[in-house]
Amino acid sequence: MSTKDSELREQYNKIFIEQAPTAIAMLDKDMRYIAVSQRWITDYKMEGKEIIGESHYDLFPEIGEDWKANHQKCLNGAVDICEEAPFKRADGTIQWIYWDVRPWYVSEGKIGGLLMHTGDITPQKEREKERNRMLEILDKTSEVARLGIWEVDLKRNGIYWSPAVCEIHEVAESFQPSLDTAINFYMEGESRDLMRKSVEKVISCGDPYDVEVELVTAKGNSIWVRSVGNGEFEDGKCVRLYGIFQDINERKRSEMALNKANAELRAIFNSKSVAIITTDDKGIINHFNHGAEYLLGYSASEIIGTQIPSVFATMEGVERFRRDLSQKYGKDPLKGLAENNEFDVREWTYIKKDGTKITVQVTISAIINAEGEIVGSLTVASDITAIKNAEIELLRKNQVLNFAERLSMIGNWQWNTITNEVTWSSNLYKIFNVDEETRLTYDTYFSFVHPEDKEMVTNHVQISLEEKKFPDLLHRIKLRDGTVKNIQLLAEIMTNDAGEVIELVGTCQDVTEQRLEEIKFRGLLESAPDAMVIVNEAGKINMINKQAEKLFGYSAKELKGKSVEILIPEAYSAKHPGHRSGFFANPKTRHMGEGRELFAINKKGKLIPIQISLSPLKTEEGVLVSAAIRDITSQKIAEGKILKAKEELEVFANKLVAQNTKLADFTQITSHNLRAPVSNLNSLLGFYKLAQSEEERADLFQKLERVVNHLTLTLSTLVEALSIRKENNGDNLDKIEFNLVMVKTQEILSGEIMSTGAVIKSDFSKLPDIDYNKIYLESIFLNLVGNALKYRSADRVPEIYVSSGIENGKKFLKVTDNGQGINLKRHGHKLFGLNKVFHRHPDARGIGLFLTKTQVEAYGGSISAESEVNVGTTFNINFN
Amino acid sequence: MRSSLNVCIVDDDDIYQFTMVKTMKLLNLTDKIMVFSDGEEALDFMLDNLHNDKELPDVIFLDIDMPIMDGFQFMEEYVKIKPKLGKKITIYMVSSSVDPVDIDRAKKISEITDYIVKPITHDQLTTIIQELDSNGSL
Repeated sequence: MSTKDSELREQYNKIFIEQAPTAIAMLDKDMRYIAVSQRWITDYKMEGKEIIGESHYDLFPEIGEDWKANHQKCLNGAVDICEEAPFKRADGTIQWIYWDVRPWYVSEGKIGGLLMHTGDITPQKEREKERNRMLEILDKTSEVARLGIWEVDLKRNGIYWSPAVCEIHEVAESFQPSLDTAINFYMEGESRDLMRKSVEKVISCGDPYDVEVELVTAKGNSIWVRSVGNGEFEDGKCVRLYGIFQDINERKRSEMALNKANAELRAIFNSKSVAIITTDDKGIINHFNHGAEYLLGYSASEIIGTQIPSVFATMEGVERFRRDLSQKYGKDPLKGLAENNEFDVREWTYIKKDGTKITVQVTISAIINAEGEIVGSLTVASDITAIKNAEIELLRKNQVLNFAERLSMIGNWQWNTITNEVTWSSNLYKIFNVDEETRLTYDTYFSFVHPEDKEMVTNHVQISLEEKKFPDLLHRIKLRDGTVKNIQLLAEIMTNDAGEVIELVGTCQDVTEQRLEEIKFRGLLESAPDAMVIVNEAGKINMINKQAEKLFGYSAKELKGKSVEILIPEAYSAKHPGHRSGFFANPKTRHMGEGRELFAINKKGKLIPIQISLSPLKTEEGVLVSAAIRDITSQKIAEGKILKAKEELEVFANKLVAQNTKLADFTQITSHNLRAPVSNLNSLLGFYKLAQSEEERADLFQKLERVVNHLTLTLSTLVEALSIRKENNGDNLDKIEFNLVMVKTQEILSGEIMSTGAVIKSDFSKLPDIDYNKIYLESIFLNLVGNALKYRSADRVPEIYVSSGIENGKKFLKVTDNGQGINLKRHGHKLFGLNKVFHRHPDARGIGLFLTKTQVEAYGGSISAESEVNVGTTFNINFN
Repeated sequence: MRSSLNVCIVDDDDIYQFTMVKTMKLLNLTDKIMVFSDGEEALDFMLDNLHNDKELPDVIFLDIDMPIMDGFQFMEEYVKIKPKLGKKITIYMVSSSVDPVDIDRAKKISEITDYIVKPITHDQLTTIIQELDSNGSL
């Protein structure tokens, strides 16, 4: 090979080296640079420096003799490869490098220099060191913190657990878990699910986790652990999981216990039933819980910040507390409590905001810090008013009971049938007039039983003990001083589980007075003049007297216990229990069946008219009703006679009234209508006698004639009216058609109808006819229609409307006109009077309406008018 | 002695009117006699002459039973106008009625001096006019 060739090759090599992507340097035999790659320059920070031709050792003065010796070996044909070695640079930094140094040949066997290929692995190296350092720290701390590390190589599915992790799992260090077995250590349920989810999340999304979960160790202990995990990714795929694992059981347990204790404390603090008040070391209240607010009625904001003793404590209470504790400890109460680690419990009286006093149980203690200094006080109070009240109530009730026993002369007793021990209440000693010191047995009691009642009592007790049921017993006792008393014994029999009688408890009442009362009552009942029946609420007859036996024909024995309805006739007895309940609901003395006739039924089934008055009777059996029953048979007969007489009198009185009315009318008529013309006649006659001339006499005679005519008319009207009144016997009634009467009336009045042009309409379709006196009806029509024409308005053509009908079952006739009308307010009262006129009409004589009214009233009818002046008048006739 | 009293007769009975006027003339009691046939006519006259003392009557003989406005109705209206009248008027109720109801009713009206049952006698008439005349001249 020629030199030229070798030069050319060297040139190529140089270019090749310069372009190489790794750090490569070509040196000659003198270790001077022939060529370097760009990477070499950057790796060794030689940018901008002249390198080619320079000595390698000038550029890296830090290269030691050992490396230089190696270079010489390579120049002699050796190859030096090093995977990693620290390269301490001149500036003191350590650079980790690997190298490959080998000779290059000019020709076969002739070395031209060295080729150096190096790499800077400093960053990798530092990472590794960091990891080792970490591991070291972890290993050291793991023992203290029960902390281990773990790794999962997902490619190989290999798991690494540090010794601490194994220990926490309570497995041998040689234990080889898989990912599944590792996860299955977590407690089934929440913990395991959480772990599985966390791991999946790391693998799929790269989200690290840090969870506290429960684990069941190989030995079956369940513990709390903290697991921290993260993932390592290559090309977006998770290849490795690693993390920390810590036993936090102690911490977790204490934390949970603390939480629980805290919650409990908070619950106590917040509870309504306990008031908690704390102060700071200056005695300023700094806590006033909900319970305190509830107990005292103050809000926390009102009290917090105030000095104790607060408004709700009484001064006496505070002073008593201070005095007692100062005496006990010889120093400030709170200091005393603190130093002795004691608390003060006592009852206080607190005053609520609304002024009411309550009794509270209060515990006061000092709050001390870790150094033993007092930092405040704690007051815990609970309302015991109710308890206190209950205590007082119980005491009071006991007193009342004692009192009641004394008043009602009742005592209570117990008899233990096994030991034959007997206890009596103090009042029972009094009833028996026995000293309270006396030792009691059943015989003590029995010794007092009246000799005549001894057998009965013995039998009663015997049977009661056998049947285990004690019916009320009434018997006599005879005291030592010979006094006899009536005693009522009530008892309850107690048995054991085997059903054997072990004890009797009961009351014993001195009913001597009640017995006397009863005897008295009995006597009273018998002496009552009426039949007496005493009935209980259930309607059962309790007692009757002799009079009742006589009235009803039953003996007392027959009726006792029977339903009272036995004495009531069937027609009434169904309703009776309802009435009875009503009476018992509101028992008061009253008559029974007010306003109705009452009957009782006797044993023979005979109905007896009776009168009953009821009175409630309050007894120990409840409310009874006592019925006083009187046989009113004779009374009824008398009453019937009186009623009949009364009815007759009424009829008579009505007749008299009717006659009186007629008489009154007649008085009116005689005074106004007869006396006036008569007095005129007298006056005229007087003048006639004194008359001087024939002319005067003729004039007076004319006047006399007029008066006489007037008087004659009045008298004949009166006679007619009287005859109408007399004839109302109903004999002369005919069925009359209104229409025919109307036609006749119009015929009679035809002259006036024609001259006035009156329009007369009628409608009798609703009532075409009526049974009436024909002459009267014609007269009524004539008068009413005639009046309507006579008193027509000067401004209007007369219109008259006549109709008949039935309203409310009554037949009526109506005549309406559009005439002058009448001022009824002024003339109403004399509208139908005789000779009454209301118009200055020359023909007004006051006879027509008077007769019409008489004719209407003759058959029990009535007439009335409605009118408005200058509008018209309507006359209404109601027949019958 | 003839008085100068204004006498007023209110009555619908023309025979009575005639006998009263004739009697007063006969007894020579007064010349001034007014006659009305019912209460309304009399009242209308008085309303027209409220302050005309010369025309207003000194005494009224009032009937009860009259058409249009009877004696009692007249009294109701009279009581209303009485305060406006400048003259004291004496009223006698004169009626043929002996009905106690009418008499009691009239006695209850303080403006009515007396109730006279028809026929009024000459003596009664003379006494009334003379007494009124002497009182008036006092």
